[in-house]
Amino acid sequence: MGVGANRFKPYLYIAPVLLLSGVLLYYCVGFTAYASLTDWNGLRRMNFIGLENYLHLVEDPTFWTALKNNLIFMVATVAIQAALGLLVAVICAERLPGSTFFKAVFFLPIAMAPAIIATVFKYMLEANYGSLNESLRAIGLLGAGEVIQWLGKDLGVWSVIIINVFQWMGFSMMVYFGGLMAIPRELHEAAVIDGAGWWRRLFSIILPSLRGTTSVLIVLGIVGSLKTFDIVWLTTGGGPGVSNHFLSTFLYQARSDREAGYSSAIGMVILVIAFLLSLAQIKVSERRR
Amino acid sequence: MVTRIPARVAMYAVLVFLLALWAYPIAVAVWKSISVGGWNNYNVVLHHPVFDYWRAIGNSFLLAGVSALVIMVISSLAGYAFSKMRFAGRNLLYGLLLACLAVPVAAVVTPLFFSVNSVGLRDTYIGVIVPLVAFNVLMMLLIMRNHFDTLPDELIEAAQLDGCGTLRIYWAVLLPLSGPALANVGVLSFVYSWNEYLLPNLLIASQDKFPVTQAISLLQDNRMSQEAISQLYAGLILMTIPSIVVYLIAQRFLQAGLTAGAVKS
Repeated sequence: MGVGANRFKPYLYIAPVLLLSGVLLYYCVGFTAYASLTDWNGLRRMNFIGLENYLHLVEDPTFWTALKNNLIFMVATVAIQAALGLLVAVICAERLPGSTFFKAVFFLPIAMAPAIIATVFKYMLEANYGSLNESLRAIGLLGAGEVIQWLGKDLGVWSVIIINVFQWMGFSMMVYFGGLMAIPRELHEAAVIDGAGWWRRLFSIILPSLRGTTSVLIVLGIVGSLKTFDIVWLTTGGGPGVSNHFLSTFLYQARSDREAGYSSAIGMVILVIAFLLSLAQIKVSERRR
Repeated sequence: MVTRIPARVAMYAVLVFLLALWAYPIAVAVWKSISVGGWNNYNVVLHHPVFDYWRAIGNSFLLAGVSALVIMVISSLAGYAFSKMRFAGRNLLYGLLLACLAVPVAAVVTPLFFSVNSVGLRDTYIGVIVPLVAFNVLMMLLIMRNHFDTLPDELIEAAQLDGCGTLRIYWAVLLPLSGPALANVGVLSFVYSWNEYLLPNLLIASQDKFPVTQAISLLQDNRMSQEAISQLYAGLILMTIPSIVVYLIAQRFLQAGLTAGAVKS
């Protein structure tokens, strides 16, 4: 079928998106690719230096720390959000009175700005006067003078993971809930007639039919982890030292330090990983059809 | 359906336990906001010397509102063309655009800053709105195209027989059938732009143009007294109120939009 007698008309309709988004984003990617091969500092002219930035990058321990943190964050957030989301979705699918209220509350943080949530957590997790350590002391889990350095070297990444789970668990829950509602009723009824109990139905019907949903959530979580910036920048800021950098904050730090060429090399690494993961996402969603 | 009483009790116990965990940070924020200085903290924050609450809210509304409107218009126009028109390079262009969904803002901050700066738009509203639109419109294009794909081609053929032109079909035939999809796109774009921190942080320098996400910094300094922390919490709560209002009004569209983008991509 075809709307539009004029051959050029369709291009007019897509022109705004193409020019505003396509051109700007491809320009940015191309610029990043080029700048990553130069010694540019963001101000003076660029000198071509080949792969030097990349060679420097693989020898930079901060890069590997950041990559490791991204990886830990990715695995932990995807696993925790999927597990809790599935748990809440399965319970809510039982249509207990009040389940709509619980769903609405768990979904609410998604509407709130990550920057605001991150700031609340930053002061809540502060070691000396933060509320969490105070609460732990109040219920006796922490001794009088003791502190837990939630935003310190060892736990910083985990605090960021907790913030992300707080914000995005409701999303996994909602997607699983949609998946549960899509399971045909007859399947449940047939299973009940065959004498299958609730647990049996959970493992033989519910979990297998949600496999596709889980793979979508895994890919989205992986891509999301590369985009994560504000909840790291506004809590640990990548520190103390460089111990809690993510690729995105490592890049932003390098940029602030006027190492534009070097930060572009980090950008290329992020882009290549993101691109490969999106290909995986397309494969996953094609298999679901 | 589980009807046995113990099973129900166990399920409620799980939900209430999780609810308590989720409520804890919110309770801390509310409690702390009045712990030193009482309710007067809200008053102090609203009349703060550097932090202008209404200004920050206004800036956020401007950035999020304008980008949501622009995104609704251009994503529906392009979604219409990609769904209902035939032209050379259609699949290639669509694929090239959707490939950009993978580009995180953080990966391209350097060229973004450079290009916005070199066209003289740094520290202007429009200089933030353009990248906000650029990064958010692609998911919305996907949602709009998927939506238009569900509308039957016979509708368009009938309108063409009645003598409707391309633009009139969009305006008078397709848009009236696209209310929920447009609402999804609008609400989602608004919330994404409202919540954006990195783009304004990169591109806006004047305090009087700070949106809420950036204005948080105005309530903080290196050495925070207990009183200043209480005031910060009060400010954070005040700045979250608009998000909660949007959520209460548009919860359905937000959920539908987010899950549509997730499942159909």
